[in-house]
Amino acid sequence: MNEFVAEAATKTNFTPIDWCIVVAYLLVSLAIGLVVKRFATSMSAYIAAGRNVGVWLGVASMTGTELGLITVMYSAEKGFKGGFAAFHIAVLAGMVTFVIGVTGFIVAPLRETGVLTIPEYYGRRYGNRTRILGGIILAGGGILNMGLFLKVGSMFIVGVTGLSQQGWAMPVVMTTLLALVLVYTVLGGMISVIVTDYIQFVVLAFGLLLATWLAVAKLGWDNIFTTVESTMGAGGFNPFVSEGHFGVEYVLWMAFLGIVGCALWPTAVARALAMESTEAVKRGFRWSSISFTIRFLIPYFWGICALVFFVHHEPQLAAAFGIGGESSPNGEPPANALYAMPLFIGRLLPAGVIGIVSAAMIAAFMSTHDSYLLCWSSVIVQDVIAPLSQKRLDTKTRVLLTRISIVAIGVYIWAWGLFYKGRDDIWDYMAITGAIYFTGAFALLAGGLYWKRASSTGAFCALIAGCSAVIGLAPIRDPVAGVVLAALGREASPAAVAEFLTSARVGLGTICFTLVVFVVVSLLFPDAAKQEDSEATEGAT
Amino acid sequence: MSWMLLWKVVLLVTIGCFSIMTIVVTIGGALDIRRLFERLKEDRDEEA
Repeated sequence: MNEFVAEAATKTNFTPIDWCIVVAYLLVSLAIGLVVKRFATSMSAYIAAGRNVGVWLGVASMTGTELGLITVMYSAEKGFKGGFAAFHIAVLAGMVTFVIGVTGFIVAPLRETGVLTIPEYYGRRYGNRTRILGGIILAGGGILNMGLFLKVGSMFIVGVTGLSQQGWAMPVVMTTLLALVLVYTVLGGMISVIVTDYIQFVVLAFGLLLATWLAVAKLGWDNIFTTVESTMGAGGFNPFVSEGHFGVEYVLWMAFLGIVGCALWPTAVARALAMESTEAVKRGFRWSSISFTIRFLIPYFWGICALVFFVHHEPQLAAAFGIGGESSPNGEPPANALYAMPLFIGRLLPAGVIGIVSAAMIAAFMSTHDSYLLCWSSVIVQDVIAPLSQKRLDTKTRVLLTRISIVAIGVYIWAWGLFYKGRDDIWDYMAITGAIYFTGAFALLAGGLYWKRASSTGAFCALIAGCSAVIGLAPIRDPVAGVVLAALGREASPAAVAEFLTSARVGLGTICFTLVVFVVVSLLFPDAAKQEDSEATEGAT
Repeated sequence: MSWMLLWKVVLLVTIGCFSIMTIVVTIGGALDIRRLFERLKEDRDEEA
């Protein structure tokens, strides 16, 4: 961390009272995991809560899962850098979720099939080899995607509590939070995830609203907008202007990510598959459109408020973050924008309230981790290990393997958080790692549910084609873009490379490539049974 | 409509909707949890 910012982070309002609130909240979550353990007696109960989740509980759980601390952090970073123009992402996400709640696109027919996981659907529609490959890619992309959750969540904790100057703080906070989540997730499975998600939703929702109200009261409603206008100009409001942070390609990419976030992303789909009926799924999605908007909108607003606060009340911090192109007071490069929001929250909220909001943020952290850990581990067991196993696995073995997978993934995200040094924006990193899975999934699910000629060979090739999204990650993208630019005889400076292969361009390109592969290969290599049916029909006519 | 006005409206409307949703989901979710445990208990008793 920038030394000036680290020094500034120690001037927080976080007191021992706030620590007590946070610790009490953590202990309650842990106790719930222990109490509900006795209900996790079957695989269906362990990974889908026995399919007994009602609409309101489903909405609370989906909100808790998808509004993680990582979401709050990267969204605040986007708002801090891009201003109100970032709001377009939130609006698109909400609109797309509402449309899916009305039409039931993908999620309703998927729920009707009665599958527990997305690769299980691949298995039914395209065969076992597609299920196994789909399971490997889904779990691989998903686990890579959550690789930075722990680190970024811990950055919030050390930023808001003032622990950031201590060298030991990050690894200790990372280890403690991870251990707590692992304990209650491993013990209670989806039942404890759903119940803790509900409590986390309540704490989180009230915490978000309270902090937002305090921010507006402190900074002034009109002042927030006029400061963004004077600092960022039109680019702070209009997502399409060239001097802004986004652009047309980016907006299109975000529209597609809106579909992904609610209809393709396995943790959101897992909620749909655990709900009691198709009608409950659609109703749940219509209500969740509000939370899918708010999960981005409020953190963007907090990021914007952080910028306004620094400009008016902490000009040295504003300079340390490079606001308005100013240079840092100690001559260092601009500080990591991820720290802006926690520093702002640490200064804005009074003692006591900051403990409640921090507990809300930790709630966001835990509700995301538990669902993601359970989702990826159940896919590994149900869709990779079980189909590859020579003998049928009983429930006890499956639950045990799921628990082992949860712990193994936990160890991985702990190590990845400590060692990955990519330069990507967190949101762009997540979009690209997620694209490894969801570009193929979009083709397979939409094609399988709505296109009769989709074939298993086309599905298999589309899954592999979707992996090309990995090119968008900075450590791979930079050398690839450098080689391509050099081959085109153009300058391959870091700025030119970043401009040439943006995450939006890579993402959109991968989607088009995957869809073309899926359609062309399906037409060239139809499934044998369907081909025979088709020939028989033609012969009969 | 200017972009600034648009985002002001979006922010106010969304926070208003979220406030209502928070109250509805808090009450409805508590009732759903009670029903969930009743059903899980029935399932467990049937298995036993």
